[in-house]
Amino acid sequence: MNKLKLQCAVFCALFVALTSAYAFVDEAHDHAMEAATPFVEQGYTVREDYWNGEVESGQKLAVRHQLFKGNEYAFWLGTANEDCELELAVFDSKGQPVHMERKNGKFTCSVRVNPPATGTYTVVFSVKSKKERGVTWALAYGYR
Amino acid sequence: MKVKTFYLFASLMLAGSAFSQGTAQKFDPAQFPGYVMDEVVVPVPSEIFAVLDKLGDPNWKDELRKLSTPDSSDRMELSLVFGTVVAEGFVAVQAQDKQAVEEIGREVINIAQSLGLTKAVRPHAQSILDAVQKDDWKAVRKEFDQTQATVRAEMERMRDNDLAQCVSLGGWLRGTSSATSVVSKAYTNDRAELLNQPMLVDHFSKSVGSMSDSAKNNRLVTAISKGLVTIRKSMDSPDGSFTPEKINTIHTTCEELLALILQVKKSR
Repeated sequence: MNKLKLQCAVFCALFVALTSAYAFVDEAHDHAMEAATPFVEQGYTVREDYWNGEVESGQKLAVRHQLFKGNEYAFWLGTANEDCELELAVFDSKGQPVHMERKNGKFTCSVRVNPPATGTYTVVFSVKSKKERGVTWALAYGYR
Repeated sequence: MKVKTFYLFASLMLAGSAFSQGTAQKFDPAQFPGYVMDEVVVPVPSEIFAVLDKLGDPNWKDELRKLSTPDSSDRMELSLVFGTVVAEGFVAVQAQDKQAVEEIGREVINIAQSLGLTKAVRPHAQSILDAVQKDDWKAVRKEFDQTQATVRAEMERMRDNDLAQCVSLGGWLRGTSSATSVVSKAYTNDRAELLNQPMLVDHFSKSVGSMSDSAKNNRLVTAISKGLVTIRKSMDSPDGSFTPEKINTIHTTCEELLALILQVKKSR
């Protein structure tokens, strides 16, 4: 009986831990979408797919992404953690920065890109917390 | 909703930086102190269609295809068909063809039913029909994106990652077939450059390569794998230029693969 109680307790603890992690990651996406709101008002279409996760504070991450010359793009980075420094930059295939108008909010960072050519670009970002070892993040984008 | 989730708790050296004192310098993958993620978000066809609209006035009605009803119970084949149907939805939105969008909305439900995903898809299909009645094309486009994202997310939740990849693949093939058709009809360098998508083709090839043996042995997946090699070769261009011949090769290959995918369907 005691063993069963222990298993239940472990299961509940794991369930709570996992759902909490997902909740925080969702919250990071919510913040990214808050950053997207003014862009939507300017005619940007937000993509439903996005990247997200949990990572060590300050860890730099990069994703490669296809952009089409002729579209304008915006990338929105969000976190659920307070007191964080967010960095976000976009580079072309030669490693040159192509982003413009970086804007930082309390939980967000956004940049705009007019790709000079169609091809693969690299989006580099990080979330650095002053308090916590781990941070959540979500990266979304839109186009017009 | 489809997300590319990534968890990493590793202490990596942070010497050097793509950010320097808050200002981005140059990005050198060889010197990058962080982690480059494998996850790829595949653009929806509307992203490339939007540029084609800006560069001219394509006749999207010409690009629309008649729908047919699935004649297969193979989930892998149905997933490929599902991707092509959603992509057809994006073409119908460009054409602002209400009837076509309504038919596609109903077809989306039919295939979702065959895939056992009716519950997840029905709200999106209804939203598509509601939005088209209001001539809200932006909302229709968004719902098609959400439909595809929801289906892939459901498949991944059920650990059917191979099927989720097939949805993306089917959509990309149909989107690329339309785009190359438009470019071929009014070739310019600017339009042709839109086919410079080697990273996406590499991503699809890698996805197919990492599928289960049973998936890789599927006759459609085998054909797609070979077709992707042909498409990728056509995208090799030292100066980034795409000749009409290269566009034609990409278009023909996509068409051949789509014909194979849709062979599992009978005409209405």
